[in-house]
Amino acid sequence: MEKKESFWIILCGLLILLAYIIPYTVLTDVVKWYGSFLLWLLLGLVIIVVNFVITKDWRS
Amino acid sequence: MSNHLIWWGFGIYTALSLYVAYLSRSGKELTMSGYFLGNRKMNGFVSALSYSATTYSAFMMVGLSGLTYKGGVGALGFEMIYFAGVSLVAFFGPRFWLAGKKYGYVTPSEMLGDRYDNKLVAVVISLSSCIFLIPYSAVQLAGVGYLVEGMTNGGISFTTGVIIATILAIVFSFIAGIRSVMWTDSLQALLMIIASTTVVILVIQGLGGFGEFFANLEKDHPESLTVPGNGFWSLATFISMTVPWVFFSLSNPQVSQRLFMPSSPKSLRGMLMGFLAFGFIYTLVSVLWGFSALSIFPGLDNPDMATPSLLASKFVPPVLGIIVMVAIIAAAISTIDSILLTLASLFARDVYGNLKQNVDEKRQLAIGKIIMPIIAILAFIFAKMQLNLIGVLSVASSAGLTVAIPAIIGVFFWKKGTAAGVISSVIVGGLLVLILEFTKSKPLNLGSGVWGLLISTILFIGISLITKAPTRKAEDFMGYIKKEIKTQFTK
Repeated sequence: MEKKESFWIILCGLLILLAYIIPYTVLTDVVKWYGSFLLWLLLGLVIIVVNFVITKDWRS
Repeated sequence: MSNHLIWWGFGIYTALSLYVAYLSRSGKELTMSGYFLGNRKMNGFVSALSYSATTYSAFMMVGLSGLTYKGGVGALGFEMIYFAGVSLVAFFGPRFWLAGKKYGYVTPSEMLGDRYDNKLVAVVISLSSCIFLIPYSAVQLAGVGYLVEGMTNGGISFTTGVIIATILAIVFSFIAGIRSVMWTDSLQALLMIIASTTVVILVIQGLGGFGEFFANLEKDHPESLTVPGNGFWSLATFISMTVPWVFFSLSNPQVSQRLFMPSSPKSLRGMLMGFLAFGFIYTLVSVLWGFSALSIFPGLDNPDMATPSLLASKFVPPVLGIIVMVAIIAAAISTIDSILLTLASLFARDVYGNLKQNVDEKRQLAIGKIIMPIIAILAFIFAKMQLNLIGVLSVASSAGLTVAIPAIIGVFFWKKGTAAGVISSVIVGGLLVLILEFTKSKPLNLGSGVWGLLISTILFIGISLITKAPTRKAEDFMGYIKKEIKTQFTK
């Protein structure tokens, strides 16, 4: 596996890990839409951007 | 809602889908890769819509909104972690695609059998896929049953709904194999996303707009906006449900087989990015849907009835309600027909093709076509058992497929992996999942998927280290992929 690829896979792993940790720690008492709801939506958006960048050189 | 209108809805949907399936034919397919992979020539747009429709089933708008209704925002986290797991396609997609093209693989298990240099590997993985995916299809069929029964207040029975879904799934996969499945999937995906998004916008507007919608949730159901919230999404439950789903894009052959089909790296990218766009919107819509039901009907006994109740409410015009109902049925059928097709290819290619001597392509294809309706009927029988919470059962099925993950990763990244390691990890891991599910045991509060994955990882590594690896095959295979990734997938 290339260095660049390893970087992206570690980044994705970290993002997923944060999606477990943050809602169950700092956001457990945030009873608002901008608590866990927003965090998980942001995770989804960041994942889209990351995948867009990883695949940018895939050509026909 | 009048049954008359619902039958019209069904009729139009069926006619339109059959027409699309008919158009998708491209001469008589005589080869396995023609019938099951579309000759590896699928474009990105159709692949993306079909991948979405296959992945997202009745589970989303019935099960996921039910889970949101029951336990709150944790359902969004659960689904978003699955969504993030699809990033695995960005790493494994090119590898599957390259290997499929070079070695002519039709199924993911065929690839494992060849790479580990042992036909029994392909047989075992295929059989384990059948054992776990037939209940998964049953969950989808049951979703259709609940929906039509709920929306018509029993006017159309659970059984009638399930029978219609079974027949349509068989027909869509039969007409032109993967081509008819992909094209009808695409139509169904568009229907799913447009109809469900329209409903959510209407309902949220009806409830006073986004601000008021959340203000009401904060006031009346504060526990629904946090985890563990009302206790349903304990950390252990959250981990148990998410772990199998993170690996869904690799462990489920009906989606990983799709990685063989795109015509080029560009089409593969189109499939991945298109799916991510679709999945993000659809996940958000399904969760908001569950929240809406919680606001309007807080006291339902069965959370799976959240969606039918919402669709029958005053916020949704009857015609739109019917369109959405048909869209959910389409979501279920588009998942089942892909599973049928994949399981048929697994059985014909990897089980029949390996256990019987000298089976040619034509014979494999004929066997595949015979096995499809048999699998559908088995799923129908499971569905008739009317098991309770759709979401939980669906996760249990994917737990069983997760045990193949160490072996799948090993194909591309570990030269020392052996057939004995794969077979023992898949059989023991799979049995462990079955035992835990049947006895309803959760050691340390963790579900069967977590234990299955842990045990299968230990066995795969441990047994591989004490048995002899097919070093030459591994070096050829991995060397080829390493070289081609550099030339075809990087600048």
